[in-house]
Amino acid sequence: MNFPGIKEDCETFLGLFQATDSVRYEEFLTIWKQMKFNTIFHGGMRNLESNRFSRDLFSVVSVFFLPPYTFQIRVGAMYLLYGLYNTQLCQPKQKIRIALKDWADIEQFHQELVTAQHLDAVYIYRQLRRMRAFYFTGMPITLNFKSQKSIIPEDGNEAFLDVKDKISDLITTETLEEIMNIQEHYQKTKCHFSADKSQPDRSLSLIREDFTDNLQSLVEEFQLWKQEKKAPRTKTDDEQEGTSQESEASERARHLAQIKSKTYNAVTQAVKSRRHRQVQMVSAPTEVETYLPLSKYQKEKLKKAERKAELDAIKKAVTPLPKKKPVNMAAIHEEDSSSSSEGEDCIRTVFTPAVAAIWWGITFLDQGCNLRGCRGCDRTRAQEV
Amino acid sequence: MAGRTDENIPTYEVANVNTKKIHVGSFGHLWRQNLSSCELSLAEVSGVDLEDEELATELDCTADIATEIKSLCSVDALKSNEDGEEADPEIIPEDSCLVTLSIRNKIIERRKEMAVDRAFRQEVFLHEMESCGLGARPEDLSDMVDEGELVLTLEVFHPVVYQKSNGNKPNVAIQVLGTQKLTELRDAIKCVSDLQIGGEFSSNPDLAPENICKDLFKSAFFYFEGVFYNDMRYPECRDLSSTIIGWSESHDRGYGKFQSAKMEDFTFNDLNIKIGFPYLYCHQGDCEHIVTIVDIRLIHHEDCLDRRLYPLYVRKHWFCTRKCNVCNIYVAKWVTNQDSLAPDDPCFFCDVCFKMLHYDTEGNKLGDFLAYVYVDHGTFN
Repeated sequence: MNFPGIKEDCETFLGLFQATDSVRYEEFLTIWKQMKFNTIFHGGMRNLESNRFSRDLFSVVSVFFLPPYTFQIRVGAMYLLYGLYNTQLCQPKQKIRIALKDWADIEQFHQELVTAQHLDAVYIYRQLRRMRAFYFTGMPITLNFKSQKSIIPEDGNEAFLDVKDKISDLITTETLEEIMNIQEHYQKTKCHFSADKSQPDRSLSLIREDFTDNLQSLVEEFQLWKQEKKAPRTKTDDEQEGTSQESEASERARHLAQIKSKTYNAVTQAVKSRRHRQVQMVSAPTEVETYLPLSKYQKEKLKKAERKAELDAIKKAVTPLPKKKPVNMAAIHEEDSSSSSEGEDCIRTVFTPAVAAIWWGITFLDQGCNLRGCRGCDRTRAQEV
Repeated sequence: MAGRTDENIPTYEVANVNTKKIHVGSFGHLWRQNLSSCELSLAEVSGVDLEDEELATELDCTADIATEIKSLCSVDALKSNEDGEEADPEIIPEDSCLVTLSIRNKIIERRKEMAVDRAFRQEVFLHEMESCGLGARPEDLSDMVDEGELVLTLEVFHPVVYQKSNGNKPNVAIQVLGTQKLTELRDAIKCVSDLQIGGEFSSNPDLAPENICKDLFKSAFFYFEGVFYNDMRYPECRDLSSTIIGWSESHDRGYGKFQSAKMEDFTFNDLNIKIGFPYLYCHQGDCEHIVTIVDIRLIHHEDCLDRRLYPLYVRKHWFCTRKCNVCNIYVAKWVTNQDSLAPDDPCFFCDVCFKMLHYDTEGNKLGDFLAYVYVDHGTFN
C-alpha cells in the first residue's frame, strides 16, 4: 500500500465506534464529526494520487465490512464506506469493489439488518446500492503480478473479530433433543431385549444412563457463563475493566517507575571538595494557572485543545495506557558565575573541552609559552634578536 | 443464490496471487442472477433519494420515521464540520488527529521545498490514460454496451526489459468486453516487433519496403489454461502451437495434454481462466508477451459504454525514446553497423542526419556501413 496511516485511522475510528456499543447512525455521525473524518481526503492531492488514495481506502475499509468481524464492526464499516464514498473528492467517484465470493455474506448481513429492524443501517445499505457505489468484481483486489516479497500478509484487528463459538455450533438445542431421543430409544430397545422388561440387562449397560442429563446441564452452564461474559458493558463496568487491564499490563512499568522516583527523590550529599555543586530538588513544572483575560484567538485555541483532550480521553478508554506521573527529578542547580569569587573555579564547574581550550589559550597568551615552534613565541624571539 | 460450492465463484488458489479456474461467462451469469435490474442498469443515476412515502413502505415503517432517517443520513451532514460550513479541501486542519493527514502534511512540506510543485508529465499521462473513455456514451445506440456485460482488465507485458527497472516490468493494461473476440485483443496489442522491416538498405535507403512484419507474418497465438488459441483468420497463417504440442507429446514431459483452437471462434466469455495467473501471447514466431487477467467485473454506468472504443488502453508504459546520435533531437529511424563514419557501433540516426552523413547530393553511398531500419520502443507512447 502506498498510503501509510489509512489502516490506523480506520481502526481508530472503528475502535471508537465499538466503544459506543451501538449500531446507530447518530453515534457514527458524532465520531465522524469529532474526528473530522471527511478531511482525510484533504490536503491538495492531485487527481491520480487522489484516485489511488480512494481506492486504497475502500479496499481497507471493505475488509471490515465482511466476516469474520463482529456485526457491530461490520455496520460501522458500512457507515464508513457510505461516508467516504460520498465525501471523496474524485471525479468521477471511485467505486467500492465487492467480490462475488463475499456477496452471499453481504446479502445475509442485509437480511440480519432487516430482521433486527436497524432501519438506519438498512437505509444506508440500500442507498449505497441505489447510488451504484459498487463494482461487482471477481476478486476484492486486482491480482497484478507481484513479487512474493511485496505481498504483505493481511493482519486483521483482533479486537474487532467475531469470536467463533465452536461449542454452540456443535451442540444446538435440536441436536441436544436428538441425542436425548436417541438415548431414550436406546434405553427402550435395551429393555426390550433383556429378560426383565422394566430394567435393561446389566451386561448391556455400556454407557452412563445420566449421560444426556449431564450433557444438558453442562451446556446450560456454559451458556450461562457466556451470557455473563457477554453482558452489555455499562460505563462503570468499562472503567473497572480498564483499571484491571491497566494494572496487569503496567505492573512492571509501575514497579520500575517506583524505583526510579525513589532514586530521584533522594539526594546524595556531595563530597566536601564539590560542595559548590550541591544537588537540589526541582519538582516537575505543574500547570501554571493564569487569570489573564483571554483574547478571542486564545479562547478558540483553548476550546480546540479541550476538544482534542476529550477525543484523546475516548481513545484512551479504548486502549488503556499506563498514565505517566510527573516524576520529581533531581537536577544540578546552575551556579551564578558572579557568585563565584575565583574565575578559574567558575570555569572548571562547566568543564567542557571547548571552554577548556579557550581557557588554556588565555593562560598561554598571558604568560607567554616560550615554546619552540609556537609561532607567537618565535616572533617575539626574533624581535628580541 | 448459487451454493457456496459453485466452482465459478472465484476463490484464491494461492492467496493474493491467483484464483482457481473459472468459466468467465458463467461467472458473469452468477452476478447477473444476484443483482436487480436497477443495479445492472446503465442509465445515469437520477434521484437517489426516495420520497418519504416510498421509503416508508420500503422500510416498513411510518412516514415520520422515514423522514427522520432520511434527514439524519443525508450526505450533506457528512461533509460539513460543526459550524455547518464546508472546509477548504486544499487545507489540512491543524487540530486533525488522523495519522494519514499528519503523514500527508510532511509530504506537502517536502513538496514545498522542491523547485517545481506541479504534476509531472508521467503523472499527467497516467491519469489521462486512466480516465480516458470514462463516461463515454456512443451516439449510435447500437454501439452501446449491453447491460450486465463483463469487463476484463488484462495486463500485457513487454517481452524484453530494455530499461533498468525497480521490480516493475513495463506493461500495458487493456480493458476488453466479455463478448469481444480474442482476435480483437490480438489486433489491439501493439508491439515493435510487428513493425520491423527486415533487410539491409545501405545502398538504396529510399527503396526500403513498406510492408512491415505484421503484414508478412500473421500467425499468433494466445495460451490460456492448456489451450492454444491460434489466429487462423488468413490463409497464410500457420499453427504456431503445433510445434509446442508436438514437443510436449513426443516425450512424457508432464504437461498434460494441450489443445489447440481457433482464436477467431472464441470470445472472452467462452474462456476458462484463473484470475491473476500468467498466460502467454506469442506472435512473430518468438515474440512472447506475458498476459495476466488482473480483474473481471460487471460494467458500471460510469465506465466507457461505447463498444467501438474497446479494447481500451487504461495504462501504458512510457518508454524513453532513442534519439539520433547526430542531432540528438529527433527519434532514431536508422541504425548502422560497421560504420566507417560513425563513432559507435551500432550508431543511431534520424532520417535527415542519416542521409546527410552517408550520401552525397546525388545519393551515392559514402564509406562502408550496413544500414537497417530501426523501430523505436517509444513509437506507441
